[in-house]
Amino acid sequence: MEEEVKGTFKLADLGSLLLNSFKAVLKGEFLLRLNASRYFIHIVYAFVLMAGIIWISLKIDDTTARVEQNKAVLEDLEIVCKQREFELVECCRRSTVEKNLIKMGSELRDRETPLTVMKK
Amino acid sequence: MDAAGGNKKKRDRIGIVLYATYLCLLLASVLVVGRLIQIQVAFTPNPRIERVLTPSVTSTTIEARRGNIYDCEGRLLAISRPVYTLHMDCTVQKDRYASMSNGKELEQAWLAKAKELSAALAKEFPGKTADQYYRQISEGRRKGQKFLSICSGVDYNTYTRVMSFPLFNEGRFKGGVRVDKEYTRGYPYGDLARRTIGFVRSKNSTVGNTHVGIEGKFDETLKGKDGIEWLRVTDYGMAHNNDSIYVDASDGKDIRTTINIDYQDIADKALREQIETDDEIEGGCVILMEVGTGAIKAMVNLLRDPKTGKLEESQNLAVGRLGEPGSVFKITTLMTALEDSIVTSLDDVIPGNNGRIEGYRYETDQHILDYQREHHTKQIPIIYGVKISSNYVFRYLAIKNYENRPKEFLANLQKYKLTEAYDFDVDGMPRPSLPNPDSRYWHKSDLGQVAMGYSVTETPLHIITFYNAIANKGKMMKPYLVDGPQILNERICSKATADTLTRGLKAVTEDGTASRLRTAKVQVAGKTGTSRVVLDNGRYESADGRKKNQGTFVGFFPADDPQYSVITVVYSKLSYRNFYGSQYPAGTVKTIVDKLHDVDPHWRSTIGKTAQK
Repeated sequence: MEEEVKGTFKLADLGSLLLNSFKAVLKGEFLLRLNASRYFIHIVYAFVLMAGIIWISLKIDDTTARVEQNKAVLEDLEIVCKQREFELVECCRRSTVEKNLIKMGSELRDRETPLTVMKK
Repeated sequence: MDAAGGNKKKRDRIGIVLYATYLCLLLASVLVVGRLIQIQVAFTPNPRIERVLTPSVTSTTIEARRGNIYDCEGRLLAISRPVYTLHMDCTVQKDRYASMSNGKELEQAWLAKAKELSAALAKEFPGKTADQYYRQISEGRRKGQKFLSICSGVDYNTYTRVMSFPLFNEGRFKGGVRVDKEYTRGYPYGDLARRTIGFVRSKNSTVGNTHVGIEGKFDETLKGKDGIEWLRVTDYGMAHNNDSIYVDASDGKDIRTTINIDYQDIADKALREQIETDDEIEGGCVILMEVGTGAIKAMVNLLRDPKTGKLEESQNLAVGRLGEPGSVFKITTLMTALEDSIVTSLDDVIPGNNGRIEGYRYETDQHILDYQREHHTKQIPIIYGVKISSNYVFRYLAIKNYENRPKEFLANLQKYKLTEAYDFDVDGMPRPSLPNPDSRYWHKSDLGQVAMGYSVTETPLHIITFYNAIANKGKMMKPYLVDGPQILNERICSKATADTLTRGLKAVTEDGTASRLRTAKVQVAGKTGTSRVVLDNGRYESADGRKKNQGTFVGFFPADDPQYSVITVVYSKLSYRNFYGSQYPAGTVKTIVDKLHDVDPHWRSTIGKTAQK
């Protein structure tokens, strides 16, 4: 019978619960009243985790920004590579090589007989 | 009790301090929470401040890399690379200097650097003098000009040089330089195979034909698909925004063509050597094809620019230009006659008839009269007709045997694939035309005209495909630049017919119209052809007696073991002179054959153990 009375919820209980909680907060006893002192290490751990998350998200920002900067550097290097490749291929044109040889005064000319391949 | 009282007093003081601190922190946290709620629910920030402080998120396009084009040996033919356009904001720092106490000195120093910049620009781009550059910059500064064009379309090397010039090396906010980068297509071999490799014009181009050559035909494969990325501003710079969608770019695929750029260079040079100095030549084309596969190893298209007079790759004549082929078409007549057993051997003879066909108003064939006179005979061997390219012999063969059944004669041309525009790796192949016996425009003389390559129009690609089939013993391969080998017609003629035709074509280069090729390093079998081009007046001659010629040589080599077939067509301008297939075209082919003999692996010899096996 007593248990039934205890389990009955009244609006006045909520009021007294809030009032008691407020008083406990003012007195700095809220967590102690909840008997949370044994979870103190967990609470500290949760704070550390939160701080960690903030720190990591800042580091992620830093890293992604560096990724973008490196992308730009890579793009520049790719452009240089393409330009070099382009110039190299330009120089390799058969008639360009012939012209350059003549310009340089070389007596080397295109062969006038087919190659002979020597095999071991 | 005292001690207890003292302890209690001490505890109270610490307790009060701690309690006061706690209350302060509690109050602060209540304020913070309250403010947070207020900001979330009721706060309306100043829009200007909000705009400045809110990290902006911008969408950027991740450009897909356009695929490269390579030749058959993996050498680069086309690549995407950036070109730069540089502008200058002449007013940079001007207002700031004006508000400073030493502004005049700073302004003078800026202008002095602008003078140095002008001198450097004049050296790099000789189109303007240093004074002209300086005047533009200084006047632009005075007038408040924020956009002065410096250069456009310059490559990376030039860009880096220009960026090292005085003032420009101070960057955008001090030097005023603004750079636009745009990726364009680069062709390291310049004009070589330019029309075959092709290009894609911008969508805004006023020219209708925006997709040209391999670039145009395979644009979808080459271009890939652009992606999207959202970037946000962070304290460290722009960073990828993980909360937004990200679509990665799908790069375009590379394409490997059948072109051998060395052979292209050889063919290009050979044709230029022949026609470059003759201003009466409009242009010409060369196709070099691998006999067994139909792979095109070189395709040269040179057309003289009317203004500059230079030969340029501005039109694909080889694929797109129709013309009456002339005598090179006579071999189709001979093939038909051989296949239908009208001619069994090239040693067969036909009556000479003094070079005339009874009932027809064709001109007399002078060669036949000469032969009859020299050999005291009225019989003409077919092989002689092939060697000297007699109009009479081929007209005779067609008219005497197909006069009453011209459709059967023309049906063979369909079998030889000389009547259709088949799918090719470069767009722009027109459909050949030939007269229709059912048409009211058909005249009985048309049959004889077709037999010798008139009244019918073909592209150089159609003609070489036909000759390539002869070299390939009757198997007609589809010409290709990118996709693999395909058969157009498994057998256009028997092996015996192909051998007989090869014998005739060898005779042409041994002591016939193409005797210029007799001294080639490799024996060539081929045929010359010269035709006149129909002018705007509908005739072959202008009112003042000038004409345009189309000279052709087509053949294959080595004659007994064909590896390559080749065609050269040269087009003349309106001229009083005659241009024959035995001249420039045969000369071009001789140079190509001689060069290929020296460089192509087919002619290499091997010594050593492997060779002995």
